[in-house]
Amino acid sequence: MLKDYLLPASVDEALQNLQAYSGKAAIIAGGTDIMVNMAEGKVSPEALIDISRIGEFKQIEEEGEFIKLGAGVTHTQAARSPLIREKALVLAQACREVGSLQIRNVGTLVGNVVSAQPAADAAVALVALEAIAEIADLQGKREEPVEELYAGIGACKVDCRSQLVTALRFKALSPNQGSAFKRLAKRKALALPMLNVAVVLSLKEGAFEWVRIVMAPVGPGPVRATASENILAGASVSPEIIEKAAAAAREQAAPRDSALRGSAAYRRDVLKVLVRRALQDAVSQAGGSL
Amino acid sequence: MKEYQVVGKSVRRLDALEKATGMGTFTTDLALPGMLYAKVLRSPHAHARIVKIDTGRAEQLPGVEAVACFKNTTRVKFNHSATMTFTVPPMEAVLDECIYDDVVRYVGDEVAAVAAVSERIAEEALALIDVEYELLPAVFDPVKAMEPDAPDIHIKKAGCFLCGKNIPGEKIHLALGNVEEGFKESDVIIEETFYLPVQKQAQLETQAALATVSNNGDITVWSTTQTPHPTRQILSHIFQIPQSKIRVLNPPYIGGGFGVRIGLSAKAEPIAVDLAMKTKKPVKIVYDRKEDFTSTDTRHSGIVTVKLGAKKDGTFQALQLKGLLNTGAYCSFGAETIGVLGAMGLSVYRAPHMLYTGNSVYTNITPAGAFRGFGNPQAMFAIETVVDMMAERLGMDAKELRLKNIIKPGDPWILPYSCQSTGLAECIEKGAKEIGWERRGTLNKPGDTLRRGIGMAVGTHVSDAWPFCGDFSNAYVTIQADGSVHVASGVPDMGTGTRTTLGQFAAEVIGVGMEHVSVTIADTQSTPFDIGSHASRTCYVAGQAVMKAATEARGYALAYAANMLNEPLEDLTILDAVVFCRGDRKLTLAEVARHAHLHNEQFIGVGKVIPQNAPPWLAHFAEVEVDTETGQVRLLKMVAAHDVGKAINPVIVEGQLQGGVVQGMGYALSEEVIFDREGRSQHDAYHKYMLLTAEDMPEIKAIIVEAEDPTGPCGAKGVGETGQVATAPAIASAIYDAVGVRMKQLPMTEERVFQALQELQKR
Ligand SMILES: Cc1cc2nc3c(=O)[nH]c(=O)nc-3n(C[C@H](O)[C@H](O)[C@H](O)COP(=O)(O)OP(=O)(O)OC[C@H]3O[C@@H](n4cnc5c(N)ncnc54)[C@H](O)[C@@H]3O)c2cc1C
Repeated sequence: MLKDYLLPASVDEALQNLQAYSGKAAIIAGGTDIMVNMAEGKVSPEALIDISRIGEFKQIEEEGEFIKLGAGVTHTQAARSPLIREKALVLAQACREVGSLQIRNVGTLVGNVVSAQPAADAAVALVALEAIAEIADLQGKREEPVEELYAGIGACKVDCRSQLVTALRFKALSPNQGSAFKRLAKRKALALPMLNVAVVLSLKEGAFEWVRIVMAPVGPGPVRATASENILAGASVSPEIIEKAAAAAREQAAPRDSALRGSAAYRRDVLKVLVRRALQDAVSQAGGSL
Repeated sequence: MKEYQVVGKSVRRLDALEKATGMGTFTTDLALPGMLYAKVLRSPHAHARIVKIDTGRAEQLPGVEAVACFKNTTRVKFNHSATMTFTVPPMEAVLDECIYDDVVRYVGDEVAAVAAVSERIAEEALALIDVEYELLPAVFDPVKAMEPDAPDIHIKKAGCFLCGKNIPGEKIHLALGNVEEGFKESDVIIEETFYLPVQKQAQLETQAALATVSNNGDITVWSTTQTPHPTRQILSHIFQIPQSKIRVLNPPYIGGGFGVRIGLSAKAEPIAVDLAMKTKKPVKIVYDRKEDFTSTDTRHSGIVTVKLGAKKDGTFQALQLKGLLNTGAYCSFGAETIGVLGAMGLSVYRAPHMLYTGNSVYTNITPAGAFRGFGNPQAMFAIETVVDMMAERLGMDAKELRLKNIIKPGDPWILPYSCQSTGLAECIEKGAKEIGWERRGTLNKPGDTLRRGIGMAVGTHVSDAWPFCGDFSNAYVTIQADGSVHVASGVPDMGTGTRTTLGQFAAEVIGVGMEHVSVTIADTQSTPFDIGSHASRTCYVAGQAVMKAATEARGYALAYAANMLNEPLEDLTILDAVVFCRGDRKLTLAEVARHAHLHNEQFIGVGKVIPQNAPPWLAHFAEVEVDTETGQVRLLKMVAAHDVGKAINPVIVEGQLQGGVVQGMGYALSEEVIFDREGRSQHDAYHKYMLLTAEDMPEIKAIIVEAEDPTGPCGAKGVGETGQVATAPAIASAIYDAVGVRMKQLPMTEERVFQALQELQKR
């Protein structure tokens, strides 16, 4: 049963709070996942440690060639940030799609990652950006790619009983690079994605320098469309090659039949369309022509 | 047109301030000293017999005060819908349920209930009730349920009237002319079958009731019912207690209804009353959202077949309609909905030959009952799609074909009352202008993947339930000793603005401003009998009763004033709460009333109304954009042009129309409850059940047309349900215009549209 609600003012204090409860406390950021899980009896922490008072957690800043997001950054903040809109559009687009305005106003990107749902919108974009999570515990700090934090559906490798994600970091996109996010859902708000796709790519002299394509929900976490990425890497930009890459994503993906999200066959067919559209948008952003 | 002072004006709603400030009281808000909380144990099985139930462990849990199940609770059979209170012989209401039975018939059926000092303890106690079930074969498909070897969901016995395998009530048969001949005379015949989903009201306030039993055995129940008086009758029947010892009321607000509580609020009232009788304490029950989804009436799913025959010039010759509705585990309004489906479906167009046959069927899913439109949306999706197809086959404009064939007053029609007014042609023309009908077919270039289309559909509805079943209203209007006016009517206000509208009638008739009027509603103790809110009847019938009562009260006041002034009665009139006579002789209404009071008289009018019926008419237009690569449909604009007779309060009327259109849009595109192979609902929560959200809304333009009906109060006709009726077929017609696929199943989800597009490509 919940007995205490703590409001640490610093990372150290938060970590000490975690330790004091030796595994029986949980971090709460926006609370949009954990409150639901508590109400359903899936988790029952003795204390909640609210990290919203940790000042630096609210910041979005440019650090050299990186963009750094504090652990308290909300979806609304990310969706509206001029810096992110300019240099990581895919993330702004993804965050704009989360839940509803109320959810976006409080829900955080880090919470989205740590909840480790297969098609969490921000997490899908972060994986495409090859974002790194900064993780702190009383022993010190380490860094881990977001893509590698998944340990199964709803299971994150961050040990919430003793560890804290303090920030997310990824490389800002340069003018020859582009990104895009596409989503299929049953309505425009408050609908979990039937499919979502994030693309980040770099062009060089009319060819794809590299491409990262992430799709979900087709596995336990965001899934890289590696076959498609390989088709595109080094190839010159053309509608045909994009179509071929999109078709490869369709082949690689294995969504499941779902009463709520549609049949597997339908979602594979549409996945191809979303991958193609995301690639087209990202190419044109990167200054490429089709 | 007649000049009115208050009627026809968008006066501020009487509930506006209370609701906007969060001070309005709903059943869910109520609390009484010593109150207990009830929770229900529901069946995990679609069909099973309870072979053993042991409530001992639950009863021993500290804080638990009673546990009810079939063993210790009355097993009087009833029907939770109000049908059992107004079905007129020789027809028989189907009484097929009791509060708890030893057989459960769908996942979510009531097994037992606990009353405890807190909701949490009640919930914990549920887990301590030991039940042993013997599983019985279940059937979910309405066609299979009628086959000889299907399991019997109910057996024929006293009260439970069956007219065929799993068919409750009776088979409906409506005929005009001879359809066989009509089809012989036709040049073009189109026949198609359509599949309709389970839709859920998803009203904001779930079912709720709070019951107390006094030492004398008098019962008071606050609840979410849309029909307090019939609910009292049902409770009196279940508990064998005189109606006059039971009081049912709303407190006074209800968070929506849309038909889900015409009669009991599912079983909230009898569960609370029974537990209050067992514990001698007030008992409150509030369904959680999941229970509201799984265990309260839905719209009927079903199958509708239409066969339409026309001459080359477009004249309709024959229209045949067949309906099959899945009424789920209990009949509820199953026997009536199937009738309205046919009656409404056949009363839009003129054709010399018509035939309707239909029946409902039991299956092991959540019971279906009343939901805004009541069978009519099911009929019109099918009929209007076929009419659209007919226009195409004949090479005619779909609007012109409709204008040519719609019913006009005096035409023979299938309904047992006459059509005395129609503004449908005007609705069609005004709606077409608003949507830009002439742009139809010109919106896309070859190769576009986002394609636009425009569509339309029309329909009608009722203004009450007469003469299909009992339907009448009473009202009291009293001019108080200070000249202010009090209205008492038994109808509820479930967000529809009833209180305001009824107040407007009284103010208009008596000749006072709205600031002098107060309205008591929805209380069996302080209002005379009224059937309640259903069948789009509240304004139409209760409005007539209030007008009649107000006219009588005004008459007494004028007669009294004539005496006071010593002037002839016919020279007197009331305007703005002042009684005027010839010249400048006048008295305020307050002066007259006070004088009367001091001389032992009050002006009380009683209005009793046995109504006729009147058809409201509607034309809906939709503009959509279809993504041919994903199947997604985006709504760009909806137009709803409705002949409402007379808009008593135009803003309230527009609100009703828009609300209906929104529910129709969900019915068209995304709302559906699916049951898995075990009969478990897959859509039992708001985040699973796809109501459209604010972000999905297109512009919705409501156009009011006023072809006053001689039978209506100030000419008004029903408006509560009409917005739902023809929304889905208008959208389907627009989708066809955009991409050339005819959708024959609702909702038209992205996946279904995508599949239809793929099939089109293969052809
Ligand atoms: C109605 C509704 C709609 C939604 N719609 C969407 C949607 O469309 N798309 C989508 O992707 N998600 C959706 N969600 C899920 C949720 O809103 C997001 O995942 C959100 O980003 C979670 O962030 P939060 O800050 O609220 O997390 P919280 O609930 O506060 O925390 C989630 C988990 O992360 C842990 N945690 C949080 N911060 C840290 C940290 N700094 N270090 C370590 N652990 C941490 C918590 O302990 C908890 O286990 C929806 C939720 C709701 C209720």
